[in-house]
Amino acid sequence: MKFQILQENLSKAVGVASRFASTKAQLPILGNILLSTKKSKVYVSSTNLEISASVQVGAKIEEEGEISIPAKVISELVSNLPKETIFLSAEKEQLKISTTGFSSKILGINSSDFPKIPTSINQEKAVKLSQEALSAALSQVLFATSVDETRPILTGVLFLFSSNSLSLIATDGFRLSRKIITFDIKKEDVGKVIIPKGVLGEIVRVDSSVGEILMLREDREKQVIFGMGNTILTSRLLEGEYPDFEKIIPKSSIVKVLLDKEEFLRAIKLASIFARESANIVKIKVLEDSVRVSAESGSAGSQEAKVDAKVDLGGGEYTEPFEIAFNYKFLEDFLHSVTGEEVEMRFSGVSSAGVFLDPKDSSYLHLIMPVKIQD
Amino acid sequence: MDTKQAWKDSLEIIKISVSPAIFSTWFLQTHLSSLKDLGERVTAEVGCPTSFAKNTIESRYFGLVQDSLIKVLGKNCDLIFAVKENPDKIKHTDGVVSPLFTEEKEDEGFLERLQRARIRPSFTFENFAVSSSNQMAHAAAQAVSQSLGSAYNPLFIWGGVGVGKTHLMVSVGNHTLKINPNKKVLFCTGEDFTNDIVEGIRNKTTQAFRNKYRRLDLLLIDDIQFIAGKDTVQEEFFHTFNAVTSAGGQIILTSDRPPSEISKLEERLRSRFEAGLIVDVAPPDFELRCAITQIKAKEKGLDITSDQAQMIAANIESARKIEGILTRLLTEVHIKKSPITNDSIESALGKDSDAGAQIVRKSPQEVTDAVSKYYQVGKRLILGESRARPIARPRQILMYLLRTQLGIPLEEVGRLVGGRDHTTVMHAVEKVTQLATNDVQIREDILKIKQTI
Repeated sequence: MKFQILQENLSKAVGVASRFASTKAQLPILGNILLSTKKSKVYVSSTNLEISASVQVGAKIEEEGEISIPAKVISELVSNLPKETIFLSAEKEQLKISTTGFSSKILGINSSDFPKIPTSINQEKAVKLSQEALSAALSQVLFATSVDETRPILTGVLFLFSSNSLSLIATDGFRLSRKIITFDIKKEDVGKVIIPKGVLGEIVRVDSSVGEILMLREDREKQVIFGMGNTILTSRLLEGEYPDFEKIIPKSSIVKVLLDKEEFLRAIKLASIFARESANIVKIKVLEDSVRVSAESGSAGSQEAKVDAKVDLGGGEYTEPFEIAFNYKFLEDFLHSVTGEEVEMRFSGVSSAGVFLDPKDSSYLHLIMPVKIQD
Repeated sequence: MDTKQAWKDSLEIIKISVSPAIFSTWFLQTHLSSLKDLGERVTAEVGCPTSFAKNTIESRYFGLVQDSLIKVLGKNCDLIFAVKENPDKIKHTDGVVSPLFTEEKEDEGFLERLQRARIRPSFTFENFAVSSSNQMAHAAAQAVSQSLGSAYNPLFIWGGVGVGKTHLMVSVGNHTLKINPNKKVLFCTGEDFTNDIVEGIRNKTTQAFRNKYRRLDLLLIDDIQFIAGKDTVQEEFFHTFNAVTSAGGQIILTSDRPPSEISKLEERLRSRFEAGLIVDVAPPDFELRCAITQIKAKEKGLDITSDQAQMIAANIESARKIEGILTRLLTEVHIKKSPITNDSIESALGKDSDAGAQIVRKSPQEVTDAVSKYYQVGKRLILGESRARPIARPRQILMYLLRTQLGIPLEEVGRLVGGRDHTTVMHAVEKVTQLATNDVQIREDILKIKQTI
């Protein structure tokens, strides 16, 4: 293998790929990056056995071939080289890198041990999604995924395709986020898949100039492939039955509250100072034209904040104001994910999930399970 | 041979041949998903956790896996590789529950509470249809449910059978428990109350009785008129009433008549009932019956069009009877596995009149008189030959009434109405059933004639 490439191009590609090389893996090959050349392209690939990445860059190829080299070494090396043409060539299990006034030999491993990684995506079969819409939607659901590995299924995001929309659902068992993206799928219906959050987090991070993301599900291989410009990401799919989330979305409510997002967020932040010491519990009391956010802790003290709100009690006044308690972290997460200036909360009881909405965006729905409080 | 054991043994062999890192990365999470014995040979499917593992094992370690399986099984072996999660691992995680998805359990708690309060979960404000006949009572009940003990105390709902008194009352209890599970709510009938006292006196547990009733936040008593004339019961109720209301609790009562008309009711109770709000619920009008039909049909999972709902509502007066008809239709749908048609509804309605549930004991003569008087058409004309509409229509209505209200057989109706054929009567009944569905005027005419007889 022998090729010439611009430092910027190689550095970018190696930078992306090295993120997926697992340094902690027992198998040394997984801490490596695979460089391979085919026709006029260099492919920089890596995998941690959950996600794989393959970045394609243009280069002047003199000789085709491939080699795998430690990710850490190559990425640090290339990023520090001057911005000019770099000459690379592989001899047996060594990679020679040279540029003006610099030359290096990196010890690699035989590339035949490197797992096979998809380097392209079938454009015909793939579903096309808008990069902007998808990453915006992901940022509203990803935070609700579970970190608890005992229920792997909840560590992923459910992609539910229908004829003209894609619903993204994530839940950790305490809260649930659902975002619907409407678009025209010209391909046949792809049903539903549960995709681990790892790869989705990468999609959000991807350079926004890509514009379009291709998505292809491979049932036999139990994996999904995303194509974003020159980068191909694959991830294994999560197997299992996703909990029936439709069932738990409350159909009716007895209290509706509309309030300013920033004001509410400030009140929650203030409450969190004391809530932190008492199991993160923040109480919300719905009054006639405001809500009272309060928290107390045995050791630190207590606080109370009033936030003006439009309250709809479904036609009547209650002699006892409605009071419900939540984990403030969940409220904060939700408020950070809302793009509009106002938020709406709907409650149907002190022990059933509260519905949180963005009045400007009907495609976004968030549920949070209240914390039980004893009188 | 046990697939798990076979694979375990094979892995032991593989472990010797490869480095520990390779083994733990590629082989540790694999499993043998199926093993098919084809006599000479065995086909084994190896499940791998990821496609990377599958590809790597398939391309680099195929021979190794095959050899070790052959050694373990003692037969030639064909291998298939697939990406499959180990089923043991999936099952293992199912037991973990999270609060958001255990709402059913929450519901069970709610149901349990309802049960303890003896409240029927199906009676809620959501499925209570409101129209002018029960609007007032509904508004009062909602007001009460939103501020227990202070809006109207007691709330006294009265009205005939099947008009929804109990539904309204129980809705308040339902709503209260939903918002605040800690409220003490109890629903009972006047008779239950009586029995409890009798029990208490007999077993010398009146204290338990008092604890049960006097500490409630919301006491719902159905058919309170039953306690009238029973002195001890009335006295006990009087004290219960005072205890509950003075502690800020709410009392809701229903009866078939207003307090002023309940005979043998003690004066002190009557005055207390009258101090609260007394509302009456009138029998449902046509529009309300339509709504009730639709709500009940939906609850039963019965698919009926609004025309069909109107047809049922136009021909049946009481809400309970509507439920009966719908149950009959549902049974038919289940047994015959055919969708509901206008004909099946008509026949269900017809059967109902055959059953003679509500046959009016009036002579055909009186009905004829009533119709003739209502339409201002001479009796002779109605029973005569003329087929002009102003005369034929009252005649059809007469036949309809004779058939449906008096339950007279078709042929007999024909004979009564100027010696007509039974098919003419059938046509008339069908025609009026149709008209009653669509024509407000006819509906009112029938209602008014019914009232006169």
